[in-house]
Amino acid sequence: MQEVLSSAFSVIMTPEVLGIILLSAIYGIFVGSIPGLTATMAVALMVPLTFFLSDVQALAAIVTTVTCSIFAGDIPATLVRIPGTPASAAYAADAYALTRQGLTGRSLGISLLFSVLGGLFGTVVLMFAAPLLAKVAESFSSFQYFWLYVLGLTCAAIVSDDSRLKGAFSLLVGLLLSTIGLGTDYSAPRMTFGFDQLITGVNFIPAMIGLFGISEVLRNALASNLGTPAEEITTDAKDHAAENSTLGIIRYVVPMACRRFHHLLRSSTIGSLVGMLPGAGADIAAWISYAVSKRFSKNPEAYGKGSEEGLADATGANNSALGSAWIPALVFGIPGDSVTAIAIGVLMMKNIQPGPDIFDVTKPQAVLVFGIYFTFILANLLLIPLGLIAIKVGNGLVHIPRAVLMPAIVIFCVVGSFSLNASYFDVFVMMVMGVLGFALERIRAPLGPVVLGIILGGALEHKFIQCLTKSDSVLSFFESPISMVLASCCIGLWIWPLIFSRRKPAPPDA
Amino acid sequence: MAAHLETELNAAVNVINATGGKGVTGHSRALSARPDGYTLGMTTLELNMMHWSGLTTMDIDSCIPLMSINEDYAAIFVLADSPWQNVKELEEDIRQRPGELTASGTSAGGAWHLALAGWLIEAGLQAEDVTWISSTGSGPSLQDLLSGGVDMVCCSLPEATTLLEAGKIRALGVMSPQRAKGYEEVATFAEQGTDWSLGGWRALALPKGTPPEIQEKILNALHRIVTGQTKVAETTFPEFMEKSGFDYTYRTGEELDRFLRETDAKFGKLLTSEAMQSVNQDPFNPMTFLWIIMGLMAVTVGAIVVQAQFQRTRESGESSVEKIPISARGVISCLLILGTIAAYAFFAETVGFISLCFASMLVLMLWMGVRPLWAFVCSLAFTLSIYQLFTLALRVPLPRGWIGW
Repeated sequence: MQEVLSSAFSVIMTPEVLGIILLSAIYGIFVGSIPGLTATMAVALMVPLTFFLSDVQALAAIVTTVTCSIFAGDIPATLVRIPGTPASAAYAADAYALTRQGLTGRSLGISLLFSVLGGLFGTVVLMFAAPLLAKVAESFSSFQYFWLYVLGLTCAAIVSDDSRLKGAFSLLVGLLLSTIGLGTDYSAPRMTFGFDQLITGVNFIPAMIGLFGISEVLRNALASNLGTPAEEITTDAKDHAAENSTLGIIRYVVPMACRRFHHLLRSSTIGSLVGMLPGAGADIAAWISYAVSKRFSKNPEAYGKGSEEGLADATGANNSALGSAWIPALVFGIPGDSVTAIAIGVLMMKNIQPGPDIFDVTKPQAVLVFGIYFTFILANLLLIPLGLIAIKVGNGLVHIPRAVLMPAIVIFCVVGSFSLNASYFDVFVMMVMGVLGFALERIRAPLGPVVLGIILGGALEHKFIQCLTKSDSVLSFFESPISMVLASCCIGLWIWPLIFSRRKPAPPDA
Repeated sequence: MAAHLETELNAAVNVINATGGKGVTGHSRALSARPDGYTLGMTTLELNMMHWSGLTTMDIDSCIPLMSINEDYAAIFVLADSPWQNVKELEEDIRQRPGELTASGTSAGGAWHLALAGWLIEAGLQAEDVTWISSTGSGPSLQDLLSGGVDMVCCSLPEATTLLEAGKIRALGVMSPQRAKGYEEVATFAEQGTDWSLGGWRALALPKGTPPEIQEKILNALHRIVTGQTKVAETTFPEFMEKSGFDYTYRTGEELDRFLRETDAKFGKLLTSEAMQSVNQDPFNPMTFLWIIMGLMAVTVGAIVVQAQFQRTRESGESSVEKIPISARGVISCLLILGTIAAYAFFAETVGFISLCFASMLVLMLWMGVRPLWAFVCSLAFTLSIYQLFTLALRVPLPRGWIGW
């Protein structure tokens, strides 16, 4: 064990590998902070380069890029409310609300530190519990997945700030949108309205950009007075200049992390558990953690309106999910998300077969696996200085007058949704979604559940149909202990407010 | 393959994974692209199947097949501790209790489903004697096998290598004429008494109408690649395929054409036969899930309306909704923004990114009251830096149009 650790350490600590890690980190932050370019895309764009790297270098590059781009996804979410990656959608509202209060720096500081801590926790889990957790993942069949998806969606709907009913409404809109096109299990497309491009369904990246980005631009445009710079924000930002400076951020965030240590432990555990299930990943982890955080918070009414607690817990969870996503990939060769799918491809190309023996310290490939752990740790540590620089740049962006910023955001939204598939239809989808998002906001329905509905709808339907094909009666849905637990969580979450809603005191400042 | 093409053709080759729709998506995307040689399609077995089940009119005549690079045969996998040791035992068990066992591997009606159903029929059973659980691919199916969700998985051998080597699952047999390279311990179905073989193929193809000289050029590049004359990261293409456990059988020209036509005829017979009808049927009505969602939606909307009424009577007029004052100017701003997006969707291909982006940014900024000179500088700088960033740094092509590089 000791030898493997030290040799893995020496493999990573070479100038070439460290240089690659630094470059990938910068690249990751850069790509992640452009709305529309996801962590997956960042990795995919890098694949041709990995052919020319050694196995350690290639994996170090992938791990670092993902770690940094998932954090960087919080940057546009905070500045202009467009989540850079879907994993940031859970708390985009909170982060943006903080910006509107003039606390951009603080909000990003919280994202940064809790991302790093969550990421480190996830790495520790990966290091010590991977073979054990692999056993849990092995026992998940369609029924358990079905309930897990329902639980994730339930959490997204009930955390919405205003009313659970409107949350549910948004969620159903999202699910309805997800049924557009050809389902996994059918040979006939549905609801395509004669558009051939809709056969593949609504692509969630342009949908997300439209829902969050364009709707916000429209809201601002409708409120007119764009000629003047964003007065409230700039004046507020001036008042909070001290808090937004690098030193101010550190002074505020570090004690906060100490204070919230047990919360961090909770959200990272949720993140690690959800992250290792293939197909669930960081997106659901963020939502569930956010919901749990709200449930146990002393001031749940702040959630969705700039809650620092919710932001911290959810951002920690999505980063800790990254580490454990490697567990099913390394143990079964079944990737937990598209990033690990690419990573498996790289491993195979380097003649390393994923499997249970991959953790065997007596085998030569153990050096590589421990190399992955070290890279995770290094990447997270490196994120602190680089993230602080990114925050400084981001802070500057808030001072740009809105009349200049808004057209730029529109172009960013267009390019972001176009570049994913080089499809003009996606641009059109983005526009329609922008109008839809605008309309939903007017009736005060939350947007987050719509996105999660679109992302998970297809998978949920697929598992549902699988379960129906397999089962003889409704009872099969509750047969195994894991299904029972997940199902009772879901049903409990829906029933609870119905019984206790009467005694709920009115929020003080609504 | 893309990496090898990149070195051979000395141009950037981007891979787009167009998934879903039982292969319709990917094939239609590749084969309906502009026939200028810039779009290559990786066609698969589904091209032999889709048109028979009436999904599309596309068939092997809708493209110019260049070269097939790989053929993988179906195999049946079960858990390591399952009772069946070979195909015959499994067959007997299915005969004993038809309809009780479940299998998975791809979507219902997909290639591997067809492989399994074909075997059942060949063995004198009914196609629906094993319930097929539709899945998104071999990965999820194998996971379902591990968790006890299904009894067997039908997919190709390389897809299951990890679990095979870990001793978690066993391969009962492979549906190929001869034992597969690298998996010599797995017996064929023919050896076990059922003469049945079915495999998938992958072939690179161009859209119909591509000029012959371009066909020639790409075909030459492919020839050099598959004969191991190119190296990416010290590895030739055949070496890479060997390492990854994929079969590599190359066919071109006449031979490829004959092969595709034979396979097509075989699938035509299979898919139109009476016994196979159940394979093509969807397990449930496509609207099942849709109706459930619609129902829930109706309930939710109803509840919202009731709640709103209830609150209105209680709060009587005290509106909590934040009202945004609507001005004519604001509405025009919104329309301009939407117009910009629509303009991009409709005209960017001809006009090009640079001209369109610059013009629309200028208009938006001027309308929003930015000083003309300032607006001009901002739009120009922003347009150029975005274009540079995407096309050069990230290698994501933006429409070129009138001005571009």
